[in-house]
Amino acid sequence: MNMRSISFRLVAWYAGLLAGIFMLLCVVLYLDLRHFLEKDLAESQGRRTRQIANTLLVHVKQTGEANVASQTKDWYEPEINDRFIRITRTDGTQVYVSGTPNDGSFDPAEVPVFPPAAETESYRKLKLSGGKTLLVAALNFKSSGNPAYLVEFGELLDPVETMLNRLFLQLAWGLPLAIFIIAGGGYLLVRRALTPVEQITRAAERITQHNLSERLPVSNSGDELERLSISLNRMITRLDDAFQNSKRFVADASHDLRTPLTILRGELENFAEDPRLDEEMRERAASLLEEVVHLGKIVEQLFTLSRLDAGEAQTEWTRFDLAELAKTTTEQLHLLAEDKGVSLSCNVSQPLPVKGNHVRLKQVIVNLLDNAIKYTPKKGAIQLRVLAVNGHAVLEVEDNGIGIPADALPHVFERFYRVDQARSADSESAGLGLSIVKAICTAHGAEVEAQSTVGCGSCFRVRLPLSRN
Amino acid sequence: MRILLAEDEKKVADIIVRGLKAERYAVDVHHDGQGAWEAASTYDYDLIILDLMLPGLTGTEILEKVRRKNHHVPILILTARDGMADKIKNFESGADDYLTKPFAFAELQLRVKALLRRGPVNRSSVLRVADLEIDRLSQNVRRAGKKIELTAKEYALLEYLATHPGRVFSRTMIIEHVWDQSFQGLTNIVDVYVRHLREKVDDTSSVKLLRTVRGVGYSLNDGTQT
Repeated sequence: MNMRSISFRLVAWYAGLLAGIFMLLCVVLYLDLRHFLEKDLAESQGRRTRQIANTLLVHVKQTGEANVASQTKDWYEPEINDRFIRITRTDGTQVYVSGTPNDGSFDPAEVPVFPPAAETESYRKLKLSGGKTLLVAALNFKSSGNPAYLVEFGELLDPVETMLNRLFLQLAWGLPLAIFIIAGGGYLLVRRALTPVEQITRAAERITQHNLSERLPVSNSGDELERLSISLNRMITRLDDAFQNSKRFVADASHDLRTPLTILRGELENFAEDPRLDEEMRERAASLLEEVVHLGKIVEQLFTLSRLDAGEAQTEWTRFDLAELAKTTTEQLHLLAEDKGVSLSCNVSQPLPVKGNHVRLKQVIVNLLDNAIKYTPKKGAIQLRVLAVNGHAVLEVEDNGIGIPADALPHVFERFYRVDQARSADSESAGLGLSIVKAICTAHGAEVEAQSTVGCGSCFRVRLPLSRN
Repeated sequence: MRILLAEDEKKVADIIVRGLKAERYAVDVHHDGQGAWEAASTYDYDLIILDLMLPGLTGTEILEKVRRKNHHVPILILTARDGMADKIKNFESGADDYLTKPFAFAELQLRVKALLRRGPVNRSSVLRVADLEIDRLSQNVRRAGKKIELTAKEYALLEYLATHPGRVFSRTMIIEHVWDQSFQGLTNIVDVYVRHLREKVDDTSSVKLLRTVRGVGYSLNDGTQT
């Protein structure tokens, strides 16, 4: 699971928040209930001490202490009800003390006497040796003519504690379970809500410069996602327009440049052939004509590049043997190398089937070899190697020519880039040959790289996927 | 021979008309699509030269209309766009040939000639230019009776030039015909081959047959012209 995904973070946040709120609520609930139950118990015991004082001890003079004791025992049955009752005169004489309860949960003799400070009533909790807690309410009772008595009434906290324990247990189990259900349900909900986002993402990834006419799916849900996909689609439309505009621009520029070039060329051809011209004028006209032809070549190469950008090399793919193509192309360029006094050899070991545009891939070999021939001085050597490496066909053109400086190497595939002035002395090239190589390679999903050492030579390497079937 | 030229660029049209008239063709020119279509549907032309970008009707529309009506007239397309897709589309619509601007006028002339003579082209097995003899069947070349050894490319180049003695062939034409598109616009391969050819064909003789026309290209002279 991706920890940084929106669904994960959203669920984590809200499960965490809910867990916090629930926990706080449970703590408050637990403490409040405990406080309430203890207070309630204490109050009912306080009431009973007052009852004993107000109904029995008030008349102690008439009835006698023994009567008070027996009456108390009759009314409250402390042994049966697991209660503790003790009536003590302030001088220390015990008027009545309840016996050990039937369940034997505590020993009344163990309960120490703690007279409250004043005549007020109070209560306290006593931890007994058996681990039980006794809640004892005490009342100092004084009435005119009677001796002062301390009335104590106690009851075990057990039922309250059992209940609280049970509640604690329920919360301890229930809380994580609730959080788990909430998180799971929340995750499903968020996933459901985010599914269209996934779809939009996948569709958006499929769109490249070659299928800009495609659009993202739009759900008619009326929510933010619908708005998002509509805005993305609008953006793609704008991109598409921009692309179409630039393509149209190239096409228009193509027309607009070619027409005057045609006129120039046609007129100059006529002019150069005019018999009325003397030799010098004819020479000048021919020189002009050469430049016009050269200009035409540059325009031609520029439009080759723009057509490659527009995806031309991705059409007319066939399966053919790259080794064979390398061999025949080398043979065709052999004379060119020979003429320059450079040796040109081609090393191929086995057939290497590749898929691609035959004409364009041949152009890659022609351009690389032509480049190598141009920049290798007399008596130099050029080697073309084609081999299979890890499922790829690798085509290498290595020469021992003048080489390319390290700072120029990263730019050799850029359009109109010239390595230095010495190279630009060659007026035939426009600095577009290698960018055409690069564009063709890109269209074929191939990589092209250059290595070079000044004075030692250069090596251009093209890696093209081998065709399997 | 009557030729219809539909070309909206007046200067380009002028050059073509001048050249074609010098070759003694009758040429009608229209600068818009509608006029060209009306002319094409009224008269019986031997050849139609169509520019693709015309006001009114486009060249492609005229091409389709003409082909629906007349299946035989050869049509040569002139275009400033040379995308593969355009080319294929127009050939499918019935174009017979295709010329991309800027072109050498020599090339246009050659193609016009080829289209007008479609079929009975010079198919004789032996081409003769002055004392040069090219046997197309055995691919043997002799100059003044002496055999000349040529490589395959040298032979192809010489044979191509010999099909129209005296005519100038541009480097583009030679590359397209003897090599292929991949060599276009990059190398001086044609010059190198012509030089080698010259060494083999001309160096032994006082009459030079291979002529360089600077800025334009090469031609194989029959020796009567200078």
